[in-house]
Amino acid sequence: MRPTLLLLTALCATAVAPVHAANSALPTAPLPTAAVPPVAASLFTDSRPDFAQNIVRVSITAQPYDFSRPWSKRAPLSRRALGTVLDGKRVLVTAESIANATYIELESPDGEQKQPASVECVDYEADLALLRPESEDFFKSRAGLVFATPQVGDALAVIQLEANGNPLLSKGQMTTAEVVRYPIDDSSFLVGRLSVPLQIRESTQSLPLLKEGKLAGLMLRYDPQSSLLDFIPAAVIEHFLKDAVKSPYEGFPRMGCSFAVTRDPQLRRYLHLNGNNGGVLITQTLKGGPAEKGGLLKGDVLMEIAGKPIDSDGNYRDETYGRISLGHLVCTKHFEGENVKVRFMRDGKMVDAEVPVAHRRPEQFASEPYIIDRAPKYYVLGGLVLQELSRQYLKEFGADWSHKAPLDLVHLDRTQGETNEDGVKRIVMLTRVLPSDVTVGYEDLRHIIVKSINGEAINSLADVPKSLEKATDGLHRIQLSGEPSLLFLDAKSVEAVGPALQRSYGLPALSRLE
Amino acid sequence: MFEARMQLRGLRPLKPLFLLVALAFAQSAPAADPALVRKSLARISNTSQEPNYRQPWLPGLTMSSSGTGWVVSKDRILTNAHVVSNARFLTLEKENDPKKYIAEVEHIAHDCDLAVLKVQDPAFFKGTIPLDLGGIPEIETEVSVYGYPIGGDRLSVTRGVVSRVDFRPYAHSGIDSHLTIQIDAAINPGNSGGPVLQKGQVVGVAFQGFSGDVAQNVGYMIPTPVIRRFLTDISDGHYDRYMDLSIATFNTLNPAMRKGLGLPEDDKGVLVSSVASAGVCSGYVKPGDVILAVDALSVASDGTVELEGERVQMAEVAERKFRGDSIQMHLLRDRQIVDVTVPLPQAWPFPMQANQFDVNPTYVLFGGLLFQPLSRNLLSSVQFQNLRLNYFFEAFVPKEIYNEHPEVIVLSNILADPINTYLGEFKESIVEEVNGTPIRTLKDLADSFEKKSEFYVIKFIGNGRPLVLERSTVEAARERIRSRYGVQSELCLDATSR
Repeated sequence: MRPTLLLLTALCATAVAPVHAANSALPTAPLPTAAVPPVAASLFTDSRPDFAQNIVRVSITAQPYDFSRPWSKRAPLSRRALGTVLDGKRVLVTAESIANATYIELESPDGEQKQPASVECVDYEADLALLRPESEDFFKSRAGLVFATPQVGDALAVIQLEANGNPLLSKGQMTTAEVVRYPIDDSSFLVGRLSVPLQIRESTQSLPLLKEGKLAGLMLRYDPQSSLLDFIPAAVIEHFLKDAVKSPYEGFPRMGCSFAVTRDPQLRRYLHLNGNNGGVLITQTLKGGPAEKGGLLKGDVLMEIAGKPIDSDGNYRDETYGRISLGHLVCTKHFEGENVKVRFMRDGKMVDAEVPVAHRRPEQFASEPYIIDRAPKYYVLGGLVLQELSRQYLKEFGADWSHKAPLDLVHLDRTQGETNEDGVKRIVMLTRVLPSDVTVGYEDLRHIIVKSINGEAINSLADVPKSLEKATDGLHRIQLSGEPSLLFLDAKSVEAVGPALQRSYGLPALSRLE
Repeated sequence: MFEARMQLRGLRPLKPLFLLVALAFAQSAPAADPALVRKSLARISNTSQEPNYRQPWLPGLTMSSSGTGWVVSKDRILTNAHVVSNARFLTLEKENDPKKYIAEVEHIAHDCDLAVLKVQDPAFFKGTIPLDLGGIPEIETEVSVYGYPIGGDRLSVTRGVVSRVDFRPYAHSGIDSHLTIQIDAAINPGNSGGPVLQKGQVVGVAFQGFSGDVAQNVGYMIPTPVIRRFLTDISDGHYDRYMDLSIATFNTLNPAMRKGLGLPEDDKGVLVSSVASAGVCSGYVKPGDVILAVDALSVASDGTVELEGERVQMAEVAERKFRGDSIQMHLLRDRQIVDVTVPLPQAWPFPMQANQFDVNPTYVLFGGLLFQPLSRNLLSSVQFQNLRLNYFFEAFVPKEIYNEHPEVIVLSNILADPINTYLGEFKESIVEEVNGTPIRTLKDLADSFEKKSEFYVIKFIGNGRPLVLERSTVEAARERIRSRYGVQSELCLDATSR
């Protein structure tokens, strides 16, 4: 596991501050285009001097949901980011900066122009989003940047804005490119790394990186101690943009399998790989997933993807980045729905097949890896709070959630890939009890998984209302998979207590199933 | 040892606030003369050896510790189990007697932290008297603690009052809870095992407390009902441990719950929510049953029974039983009354969640890979980060992992060698099978490695990549690993061998 860099976002996620306070200090005279400082011009010998016109401020007010009180939102917070204008009248930011946004405003560096904006397309896994200002006037004199491919050894400039609107350029060298984790736990993409000392400025998110005046990437995270900056390289952004014109947005495709490296000579001899020097062992295929559809089985040795040989570490030779993980080849060089040719070895024979690569949406997981911009579902049953297990819920236990949250729930979340097939059963839990007349004796129950209600299996929160129609003798019978394993509720009292629960606990509604 | 930790055995919901009435003991013996009491105490010095779980082929660290003991019968000494645990050599000293007497453990009860010692030289008992056992002292009455705590070499006596009587965890085993008495007399390291006296009678054995930065003036003693139960248990020459019902119950306070279970409105009965398949109730009691009475004692809807005038947890009824006894259960099952007699043939059979003492670490070393059964002992010497390991430990009883894995075999460490260069990712994984044979115990693993095979293919739970070792490679590496790491023996399967 590689060291994870600190998120710079942590530095600027402050409480609500007057969003434009800093701007009032701006000089009143607008800066002409030619006001780009000479230092910038000297950095980019063949650059277009108007790049500064394509950097805008983005102010975001966000209000995430409180998953431990799913009927309410947390206090609003504000973030400041930089947006990069692209050709085609769009503004690019990282998805993280606009997560759970309730209001987004674009502002020209000189503070002259302001425009509310909406999210046109967002991919939280690739951490990218496109914004569209209310009026296209905003794009006058902003032609948009074009892309450049960053390569290891390149000098790249990170753009920040001074309070007066002047661009602040920090130059660094790209040291490496590798496939590592993005902010959403389970998604890995290509990351470029830059060694650059960065100054603290107001907008610290979504900073653009330029190569010769062209957009080479967007900052993902920055570690001030090591002065290392991770960025989303142009290749990932361009894939996102090509996808973004489609509706609905599909996302980066995956193979739907996991693999193990085969460097161990004993393992290679056992797998009869003696004559070859590459290949990775398929250790698991997602039920109903792309690899399985393509005929791959656990135990196969994957030798080639799209004509590229795979080495024993799971790398292929990329034209731009050299030996990097096959993950980049699959997800960035292909699109959902494409059939990717693979060659694998089974029982000593080479087999050719095609894998219909696809993106796995968060809703297709038993425990969703992230729930952003969406309200958490819940059902208050006479005071028993029912919710679906998700990693977003577990993250309510804080930064150290994997140690602080109930161990059996963390275990379920982490091992779901071993048991769950694609896109089906959710885990419904009784998360806590809002005490009422109806729940006497049940007050201390917490985090227990619900198996069935009135004999009906509960495989999602949506199953709850149906199951409640099947009460017998006026009682709901709730079967749990954990102590106390069985609960009864009086059906009439459950209905009668609803308004009182809403009043005393301030619930806007007793359930949210959408 | 002195940190009381809340850690209850998974299947026994025990609630505090529990009172046991003093057994009405005829005060036949006159109050002992204090001078005679002081002569009947002993300072116990224990040279112990901790097992070495990180390098189980090596002997562990030797340590010296001391505690207190007292004459309980004409030729036996009573003390705490933790004073004499892992003992290699025990000596006793008396006040005003220069001699050191060699002692040995006759009976030791780790679940209630008590032990009985024998002394080789009968001269030790000259001038001593067996101390009388009293009852449960009243709250606020004064007690004196006798012992050899830190701060000096000679006998020390401190005084305090009885603060409360409660059902509390016993820190020694880490998973047992019994009746305890809290006192505010100073109890310090070395006091362990010493008698607490009131009016010349022993009313408890000092055994645990908090360090000063956690709580002030909180010391605990083991009360006489627990001591008496221990003495009765060993009277047949063998300690059989506490009996445990190994069921979980839930209250029936809720009116809908009562209606659903077919219970009248009389505030009686508890719902059986689970029955451990390895426990004594398995086959006699079913989940969904309602326990209406145990041994003819009516069970209230909050799980308490009335015993000798006090409301106590139902578990207390089993707490008083001995191996071979039985317990009567008056049940409501599917709205029919059912009476069952649950025999109590043995204590809970899987001690892996408890601190264990006087046992050797068992292990198998193969190709530099160290395999050990998961246990609290192992976890307290090796800090595992692996989520699944911690889950298997916690869920061992509630999810009945013992049915598939009576021993959870962990690849706990890798002695680096060219043979295992690429195997680092398997560390802290749980063995599922070897060459297709499921591994349930360490013995299974040792047997699999015994069988001749070109390859040993080890599958771990939740990992699709097999760990492959070639027999020829393992054989070639064997002596190299043994000599490089000073491995005297490549396996130990018997925890009790010495």
